[in-house]
Amino acid sequence: MKYKYAIDHSPAYASLRMNLVANQSITVEAGAMAAMDTNITMKSKMRGGILKSVGRMLGGESLFLSEFTAQNKSGELLISPGVPGDVCHYAISSGRSLFLQSSGFVACDPSLEIDTKFQGFKGFFSGESLFLVKMSGDGDVWFSSYGAIVEIPVNGSYLVDTGYVVAFEDSLNYNVELLGGLSRKGLKTSIFGGDGLVCRFSGQGRLWIQTRHVGPLVNFLHAFRPVKSD
Amino acid sequence: MKYDILHQPDSAIVKIQMDAQEELITEAGAMVAMSSNLDVNTTLRKGKGGGIMGGLKRMLAGESLFLSVFRSSAEAGEIYLAPKLMGDILPYSLNGEGLVVQSTGYLASTPGVDIELGFQGFKSLLSGESIFWLNVSGSGLVLLNAFGGIYEIDVDGEYVVDTGHIVAFEKGLSFRISKANTSWWGAFFGGEGFVCRFAGKGKVYCQTHNPSAFGKMVGGQLPPR
Repeated sequence: MKYKYAIDHSPAYASLRMNLVANQSITVEAGAMAAMDTNITMKSKMRGGILKSVGRMLGGESLFLSEFTAQNKSGELLISPGVPGDVCHYAISSGRSLFLQSSGFVACDPSLEIDTKFQGFKGFFSGESLFLVKMSGDGDVWFSSYGAIVEIPVNGSYLVDTGYVVAFEDSLNYNVELLGGLSRKGLKTSIFGGDGLVCRFSGQGRLWIQTRHVGPLVNFLHAFRPVKSD
Repeated sequence: MKYDILHQPDSAIVKIQMDAQEELITEAGAMVAMSSNLDVNTTLRKGKGGGIMGGLKRMLAGESLFLSVFRSSAEAGEIYLAPKLMGDILPYSLNGEGLVVQSTGYLASTPGVDIELGFQGFKSLLSGESIFWLNVSGSGLVLLNAFGGIYEIDVDGEYVVDTGHIVAFEKGLSFRISKANTSWWGAFFGGEGFVCRFAGKGKVYCQTHNPSAFGKMVGGQLPPR
């Protein structure tokens, strides 16, 4: 079923306004609901049952989902991502998939398959927690960023700092590697991020990046933390 | 080289199209995405301001001032660069005159531009606030970045700007750091810590928000490290 929606306050403070028709449902990232009409009901969604959800929790995965349904009549639902930034819509067509950085998931058609078992880059390098979620089926998905979203049409090969990857089409091949020339490790610094981990995309397809990355913000704020006194 | 700044002012990102055999110097960590044919090196730059001493000087200016050099090969390429914090990007064309840039305000430059930690750095260090200045000279393009929006002040005579709000200023201006308040007591408790008193003729580029005020406000509430 088609969704009627609008993205307000783009790109710095985007929020998704969804107008559900009677008995229409939508899957939303847990905690992202900001406001809604009273005839909309919410239930927590255990994708693949309790065991799988527990597995996700143990895996450090933070993708928990809620399902919102407009009961009997139409209703409005406002969805706001946890981090200020933009929201982008993508329609997955049957037989295709979209890879999403899990923290970028906002909402989707409940009929879509969300593969969270798929761990993406995890395990390649310690310290880098880029979880990818694979979404497939036939329906709409909305994803968010920190900062604005820039679409890059890839034809050939492209490199993206892993912290800036938001989403990409499954027609692209990807591979995480250490780009020595970007690394400051040999320069004796202790900075989180900027450590030269990049995602190399190849093939033909669309890729979405975000214009900011929370890592550098965390680094910046870390320097202002009070120092423990003994 | 052509550039395009997108999503100004809060989420600014710059897309730079490099022709074949071109070079771009950036703050280490500023690269967001790029064509795979670009070659990159993060080193202590050779030449003027390079070598071990140059590197040491840069280290004093804060570790993020390590520079990455991107080179395009026989083919053209593109690269996206973004600041660390939310805010705008400002392009500045240097034509022989100099620019003084606050170390966190530097994003990237073309190869004809020399970057040195200026003597002013030590002067401001003594003033108590950890602000370091980069002496930028030569000719070419400099991309500056700010926390928040950037506004320009055309100084002719004298002007006062809080040190935390300065992104860069032209060399035609002389400056000295002083306390905003007339008494040291007031300077310490009044919030307005140190200000820059400019004199002469030239432009000052200011940021709408003070990064260390934000850092203290949020970082100060985090558990001790």
